[in-house]
Amino acid sequence: MSIAGFERPTLGKIIIDGVDCTTLPPNKRNIGMVFQHYTLFPHLSVADNVAFPLKMRGISRSERRRQAEAALETVRLAGYGDRMPKQLSGGQQQRVALARAIVYRPRVLLMDEPLSALDKNLREEMQLEIKRLHSELGLTVVFVTHDQGEALTMADRIAILKAGKLQQVSPARELYERPSNLFAAGFIGEMNMLPVEWDGQRARLVQGEEIVLPDQAAITPVTPGPAVLAVRPERLSYARAGTAGTWAATVRDVVYAGAGTLLITSLGDGTEVRLRIPSAGQEPVSPGDAIGLTCPPEAMLLYPQEGA
Amino acid sequence: MAPPGFLEADGRNMSRATVLMLMAPFFALVIFAFLYPLANLLSISVLEPQPTLEHYQRVAENPVYARVLFRTLQIALLVSLLSLALSLPVAVLMANSRGPKAIFLTACILLPFWSSVLVRTAAWAILLQRNGIINQTLQFIGITDEPVRLLYTQGAVVVAMTHVLMPFMVLPIYGALRNIPADYSRAAAICGAGPLRTFWEVTLPLAMPGIIGGFILVFLTALGYFITPALLGSPQEMMIATLISQQMRENLDWPFAAALVGVLTLIVTVITLAFSKVFRFERMLGGRV
Repeated sequence: MSIAGFERPTLGKIIIDGVDCTTLPPNKRNIGMVFQHYTLFPHLSVADNVAFPLKMRGISRSERRRQAEAALETVRLAGYGDRMPKQLSGGQQQRVALARAIVYRPRVLLMDEPLSALDKNLREEMQLEIKRLHSELGLTVVFVTHDQGEALTMADRIAILKAGKLQQVSPARELYERPSNLFAAGFIGEMNMLPVEWDGQRARLVQGEEIVLPDQAAITPVTPGPAVLAVRPERLSYARAGTAGTWAATVRDVVYAGAGTLLITSLGDGTEVRLRIPSAGQEPVSPGDAIGLTCPPEAMLLYPQEGA
Repeated sequence: MAPPGFLEADGRNMSRATVLMLMAPFFALVIFAFLYPLANLLSISVLEPQPTLEHYQRVAENPVYARVLFRTLQIALLVSLLSLALSLPVAVLMANSRGPKAIFLTACILLPFWSSVLVRTAAWAILLQRNGIINQTLQFIGITDEPVRLLYTQGAVVVAMTHVLMPFMVLPIYGALRNIPADYSRAAAICGAGPLRTFWEVTLPLAMPGIIGGFILVFLTALGYFITPALLGSPQEMMIATLISQQMRENLDWPFAAALVGVLTLIVTVITLAFSKVFRFERMLGGRV
C-alpha cells in the first residue's frame, strides 16, 4: 500500500529505479498493480479495462486498441476483448487485471495477494503464469502473500515484514535454511525451538545434555546465557533411547501421512519437538516409547532469546 | 452458515408462502388505497354522465390544458436537474466522510426530511414575501429600490420544490456511491488517473443506477406535486396538480378532473417504462455494481 502510494510511510523512503517516490501520488508513480479482488471496472469491457491506463496517458484510440490486444495475448486471453468482466471466470478476470497492470510497461508490478481469491488448482496455474510473465517481460514483481509456500515457490528474494518492520530480505533458500532471527525462523515453514543455556561453545538443554555447536550455528552473535536452539523437523532423526550423543525424548504421537510421518515428541522438561521423517525404513515407534533424538551439527541454529 | 430461516435478510431462501405472507399487507394496501381509487377515478372519466370520451376531447382541444401539462413537465425537469446538480457534491461528500462528520451530514439531509413539507414550503413563503429577508437584503445593498415580486412565481416553485425533493436525490446517489468498493478508485489511480479523472471515468458511471433512480424519483414526484405549487406558484401559471384540484373542489367537475388524472397517469407510465427500458429497473435505488 505504501509502495503504491495509498499510504504515507511514517519513516523511511520509497525509491523506485533511483527515483524518490515517497510523496508522489499513486497516479504519478507509473507502477502496475494487481489487487486481491481483480477490481476490473464493471462498466467497461475487457478491452476497455486493459486500455484504461493507456487512455489516462493520452494514447490514441487505435494505438490503445492495438496495445490492449497485445497485452491480452500475453496473458492468453486474445479475442476476449469485447466481453464484460462479469462474463469471465475468476482466473480469467485476474489475468485481465494482470494485462491491465502490464499494458503500459510499468517500472514495477505490485501484486497484493493476487491469488488468494482463487481455488487451489487455478492458483497453481496462475503461479506458473506469473512466473512465465516475469521472465518474459523482465519486470520486477513485488508479490505480497501470506502463503509461505507460495513465497518460496515464486520468489527470487523474499522479504519478511512484521508490524511494518522488515525482518529479513534474502533468497528463498537462505531464508529457509538460515533465517536471520527467531520470527523469520518461525514464520516460514515449521521450526522446533528448544530453550538452552549457552556458554559460548556448548548449548545445554534444560534436561542436561550438552551440545557442541559449530561456529556458523549462530547467525548473529549470541551472548552466553539463555538462548534458543532452532532445528527444522525434517533434519531430526531418532535412535534407540540412551544412544550416545542423542537427546532423551518421549514419543507422544505418531501421525502417518503417506510418504512422510510426523512424530511429536517431548523432552524431559515438556518442550515439544516435532520430527518429519520418511515413513519407510524406520524402526516403528508408538506413543509412550522413549527414544533419543539426533541432529547433524550443520542443521542447528542458535538465536538469542526473544526480547534479549 | 446459518440455516435459511424466516428472518434471513436474503429473500432467495424463503419459501413462496413466506414471501406471499410478507408481501400481503403491502399488496392489500396498494390495492385498497391506490389501485381501487385510481380505477374508480379513471372509470368516472369515461363513464359519466354517460359512456363518453368528451372529457379527454376537452383536454386535447383546449390549448390551455396542453400548456399546463407542458409547463408541469418543464418545471419537473428543471427541478430534477437542479437537485441533481446540488445533490451530487453533497452525496460525494457524505460517501467520503466517516465518523462525526458523516453523522452531521446525514442529519443535515434527514432533519428537513422529518419536518412537514408544509412547514418547509411556508418557510419559503416567509423568505420570499414582499418585505421578507431576501427583498430587504436586495434593497439594502441597492440592487433594487422597490420590493421585487418573488413569491407566487415559477421561480419560487422551482426553488422550493428543489429544496423539498432534494433528499430523494441525495439518498439514492449516496447509497450507490457507498456501494462502490474503494479498490476501484485505487485501481484507477494506479492506472494513472488523477482524482477528477477517476471520478469522471469510474465513480460516476458506477454511481449511475443511484443517479438515475434519484432522478426518476424526483422527476415523477415533481410531476404530481401539489402543495408547493399551490402555495408558492402563480395562479396564471398553474401546474397540473393544482389544476386537477381546482376542477374537483371549485368546479366540482369530477369527470374532467379524472380525465386530467388519466392523462397524467399515462405520461408518468410512459416515462417510467421508457426509463426502465433503457436502464434496468433492479439496478435503481442503489443497486449493486
